[in-house]
Amino acid sequence: MALKNIKSKVLRVYPADTNTDEVISGKYKYDELDLKKLAVHAFESIDPTFYADSQKVKDPILIAANNFGCGSSREQAPQVILACGVSCIIAESYARIFYRNSFNIGLPLIECKGISKEAKQGDELAIDFKKNEIRNLTTGKTLPMKPIPEFMQQLLEAGGLMPYLKAQHK
Amino acid sequence: MGKTLAEKILSEKSGKDVAPGDLITVPVDFVFGQDGTMPLAIQQMEKELGTRKVFDPAKVAAVCDHASPSPSEQVSNVHIFMRKFARENGIHFFENGDGICHQIVAEKFAAPGKIIIGGDSHTCTHGALTAFATGMGSTDVGAIMAYGTTWLRVPESFKITVDGNLPKYVTSKDVFLHIVREITADGATYMSIEYLGSTINKMSVESRLVLSNMSVEAGAKVGLCPADEKVKAYLKKNGRVNEYRKIAADKNAVYTDELEIDAAGLEPLIAAPHRVDNVKPVSEFAGMHMDQVCIGSCTNGRIEDLKVAAEILKGKKAHPDTRLVVYPASRQVLAEAIKLGYIEILVKAGAAVGAPGCGFCIGRTVALGDGEKVLSTQNRNFRGRMGNNKSEIYLSNVPVAAVSAIYGKITDPREVL
Repeated sequence: MALKNIKSKVLRVYPADTNTDEVISGKYKYDELDLKKLAVHAFESIDPTFYADSQKVKDPILIAANNFGCGSSREQAPQVILACGVSCIIAESYARIFYRNSFNIGLPLIECKGISKEAKQGDELAIDFKKNEIRNLTTGKTLPMKPIPEFMQQLLEAGGLMPYLKAQHK
Repeated sequence: MGKTLAEKILSEKSGKDVAPGDLITVPVDFVFGQDGTMPLAIQQMEKELGTRKVFDPAKVAAVCDHASPSPSEQVSNVHIFMRKFARENGIHFFENGDGICHQIVAEKFAAPGKIIIGGDSHTCTHGALTAFATGMGSTDVGAIMAYGTTWLRVPESFKITVDGNLPKYVTSKDVFLHIVREITADGATYMSIEYLGSTINKMSVESRLVLSNMSVEAGAKVGLCPADEKVKAYLKKNGRVNEYRKIAADKNAVYTDELEIDAAGLEPLIAAPHRVDNVKPVSEFAGMHMDQVCIGSCTNGRIEDLKVAAEILKGKKAHPDTRLVVYPASRQVLAEAIKLGYIEILVKAGAAVGAPGCGFCIGRTVALGDGEKVLSTQNRNFRGRMGNNKSEIYLSNVPVAAVSAIYGKITDPREVL
């Protein structure tokens, strides 16, 4: 089984080293266990209109430069991104805890060199998981992406780590 | 081919001859979460696996440290949720005021060769006790609490050798700030840092805990220090000498990256807003007014740190325009600091001493005002971390922080002491 290809618009392009405090501030995460309510505050400190804009696009794509999601281990970071309806993130590279957390909850992360320069807000992208390439339908450019590791694909196909483990321990 | 320390521990635990890049499943010797991550871990267990029962209560801990003592009714309700889970499972539970999870785990649970997973990015702290310790998110913590195992990708290793004597008022904090300045915030992403050399060998476990704690600020998965007599003595002091064992890298181990540091050439450093790798000599900021100076955190809130702060602040007063805030890292540290007279000195110097916990570091129980500048001994200076997006966080070692509190501005201790 292969992952389903994605065709959608770029919601935002974030700079290098965007940290999880910026994704969701620590001042909210201790108060609220409902991720849908928490999602309203996603990227609030660096991008106050993020949540509102995320609701206007179907299955939006986030783009980032290198080391996206560095800092705190808070899983609320990928959780709120997922709760905003984001279909996948494409970045030059990721911080390791964020990387793990995202696949664990079923949010696909794609590594692609050059993407932060080749995709702009509003561009339409077509992601092909068979050919492992990303086509920018707005500019006509195609970039190769790093294939998602087999094990990570299994996690996504199962719907995350918990359903994957549950099936294994049956 | 020889093995690095990380490869040694993971080979032993997985029962396989591992190499970097391998995906392995390992038993977890200890797992913990704090009040920002544990509630979601419990929720994930319940919702996804349909269970609230942990695999082995002796190997699980929940710690109320991040928002402690609870500042709001919402947080208090989250603490109730954690407390209930802890009581029904009989796991280790640490209350408001018991201290920061990493200090508690260092004192009571970490030991060479163990695999320790925590729902907190600074779990790498326990590499100072030669444990393969790394931070994960709530779903991973929930899965480990249920099954007792986790998957790991065997990391490449980064060898950092520090040789020579550290100059006066230069600490392991400066060693790390120098490293992150050299290799940047993602210079060791996914990797295991191994700290070696004569400086490390001479260093106390408390100082090594700073290096291991901050390893994640360079993206590392773990930050390992040698298992030696210093580790043995630390375990002995904490009544756990039986948990000591020697484990070391092979002489012909293969490292992906290497960095050599001459300790004698280092100076006190500052990480300026809003990045940990934005590191400059203290002299570049000398004279800059600070509204608050914070001493504590899982980086620099141990007895060794409070001793240095007390020695510098003895008989002195914090500047009237600068608030001095001190949070001991654990109840054990606070009790020892009281016994040794450090707390009396700090209180007389004008410090607001808080209950052991994360306190100021994450801005949940102590927050900054608009436009304020703070000098802190913690590990992160991200925008908004201390509760206000319109404030600036500068990071330093303890001597710089203590002397800067007296003068009310960033001060180089080598100039005035």
